[in-house]
Amino acid sequence: GKRPMTGASETWQLPVWEFVLVPLLLHRLTKLTGSDKYVDHVVQWCQVTSGLKMAAPDELFCWEGDWGLPSVSTDCLVVLAYAQFAGAPLKLRKISNPWRSPSGSLPALRTNQKETLSRPSDIIIHLRKQKYNADYDLSAKEGADSLAFISLLEEKLTPALIYAFWIEPKNYVDVTRRWYAEHLPFPLNFFLPGRMQRQQLEKLRLLRGDESLEAGEELEKEMYRDAAECMNLLSQRLGSHKFFFGDSPSSLDAYVFGHLAPILKSKLPNAKLQQHLKSLDNLTNFCTNILLLYFPRDGRESQKTTSQPEGADFDHVPNKRRKQFLSALVALGAMLSYALLTGMVSIQHVQHEALEEPPDLQHIGPHEEEGDG
Amino acid sequence: MSLAAEAFVSQIAAAEPWPENATLYQPLTEDQILLSDCASSLAVQAYLRMCGLPVQVVCRANAEYMSPSGKIPFIHVGNQVVSELGPIVQFTRAKGHSLSDGLDDVQRAEMKAYMELVNNMLLTAELYIQWCDDATAAEVCMLISRPRYSSPYSWPLSNVLAYQKQWEVRRKMNAIGWGGKTLEQVYEDVSQCCQALSQRLGTQPYFFNKQPTELDALVFGHLFTILTTRLTSTELAERVKSCSNLLSFCKRIEQTYFEDKSS
Repeated sequence: GKRPMTGASETWQLPVWEFVLVPLLLHRLTKLTGSDKYVDHVVQWCQVTSGLKMAAPDELFCWEGDWGLPSVSTDCLVVLAYAQFAGAPLKLRKISNPWRSPSGSLPALRTNQKETLSRPSDIIIHLRKQKYNADYDLSAKEGADSLAFISLLEEKLTPALIYAFWIEPKNYVDVTRRWYAEHLPFPLNFFLPGRMQRQQLEKLRLLRGDESLEAGEELEKEMYRDAAECMNLLSQRLGSHKFFFGDSPSSLDAYVFGHLAPILKSKLPNAKLQQHLKSLDNLTNFCTNILLLYFPRDGRESQKTTSQPEGADFDHVPNKRRKQFLSALVALGAMLSYALLTGMVSIQHVQHEALEEPPDLQHIGPHEEEGDG
Repeated sequence: MSLAAEAFVSQIAAAEPWPENATLYQPLTEDQILLSDCASSLAVQAYLRMCGLPVQVVCRANAEYMSPSGKIPFIHVGNQVVSELGPIVQFTRAKGHSLSDGLDDVQRAEMKAYMELVNNMLLTAELYIQWCDDATAAEVCMLISRPRYSSPYSWPLSNVLAYQKQWEVRRKMNAIGWGGKTLEQVYEDVSQCCQALSQRLGTQPYFFNKQPTELDALVFGHLFTILTTRLTSTELAERVKSCSNLLSFCKRIEQTYFEDKSS
């Protein structure tokens, strides 16, 4: 199973006895249930029972990851990357049900004052106020440049991303809708993907100020041209540097990563944006570097999961084995109960025999042992 | 502007020189035009003046409905109609007039980025203050935007159109996440944007040293309009005034490109 948390919660300090008890408890729970979703609860419980007066960390709710990314949503990626760059101790909850987020949308940050923030820029400002500032070393002019390039991304790349993932018919049906239908919990998976698509279409219409927006070749060309130009500009600005400003990443790096990584890693049937991005070596390296340096776990997981389905590419379902096992169990149970109910198999006769024979065995077994003792 | 139209325009445009009778259309200056439209229009005028291309400004009450993209301003050159600064810059480049040819790749990337900053923050803030600000809805929106916007139309239509416009802008704000912002946060964004521009400008006469570019035209259009337009509150202008180099930048462009022509 995937562990629904990273970084921060592992660094919490616990009293000595819990160093022994907690791992034992976790070990038992993971063995019993086959998943380690209890880690969170146990850590929370320890915090409460041990009476440690520690400020609870802010909780960040994000979409689950896939394709080797820590999350599939651009906004979530921006926040995750910034938090990693700034070293902010967030308690991460990767979920696949937006209704479980405190704001009803993802990402969302629940601060320890129980405030809820959902815009990436608001979350970043909040983290900055908590002294987790990835832009601390920037000069005023570099800060101004960051602001300008973030605007460039929002104006030029966001519409193309919406188009590529939600409007382009083949991409939407084969990848986006499928991903959300598979990952959302049962009743939601039927209507939420469609509703999310309508919201995105509405957003694109308003962004472009074009009421009669229809998926089509012309719209696609226009949007992809803007996006390609934006990527070229970013590539020129980045040059041969590792990050946009010096040797350490800043908020601009987080935004660029959040917008480009999904293009680079997703496997869309219509992959024109990806082709263009792959032709810009420095931006491609920039994304893979950040993934390697700041999200090593997700990269490894993806390699595992992508190498598995390559052989049996059909329907990649999470927890496949367990689900197969459960359904086999249910089928078996149904068959047996049918057999019992219709009287194909009668249990009474068997029980009778079983009751008749054991007494003899029991007589012999234990009594001899007692006699020895 | 659609791609096919654009390709067509750039082919045709290259062939013909800039005519004497080029016209720029905008809403009525005295009692109709709103802050955001005025700023966009002024930016285009400044750009054309920097290029040295003569244009005659014509005010029409239905300019918004004449424009091919529904946005203001648009220019009518020869037999072509082009709206908004971005496409107009491309159009003039096709005719051989460009301000940004002297820039290197990185500078051009930065110029584009700063232009998007102005569109993304200043223009959105102007729209927000005009149409969406709940606290002073009784003031700016009710006293200025709505009556001005609907001034050419008679009673039932004027209300319908103003509501329609307001509704559209509000939906846009919600879509880009500005719906939940307070007025104070919007002013804060304006300050942040002005400080960024001010930092970038530094002590240079123009954003990229000695020569003006389309970025200078765009920034001038917005800042000069904010500084010279009277709203119910002077807060917006105050935020701009806190950056002194931007003030002298506006004055410099006004003197260089607007005063000697009118005198």
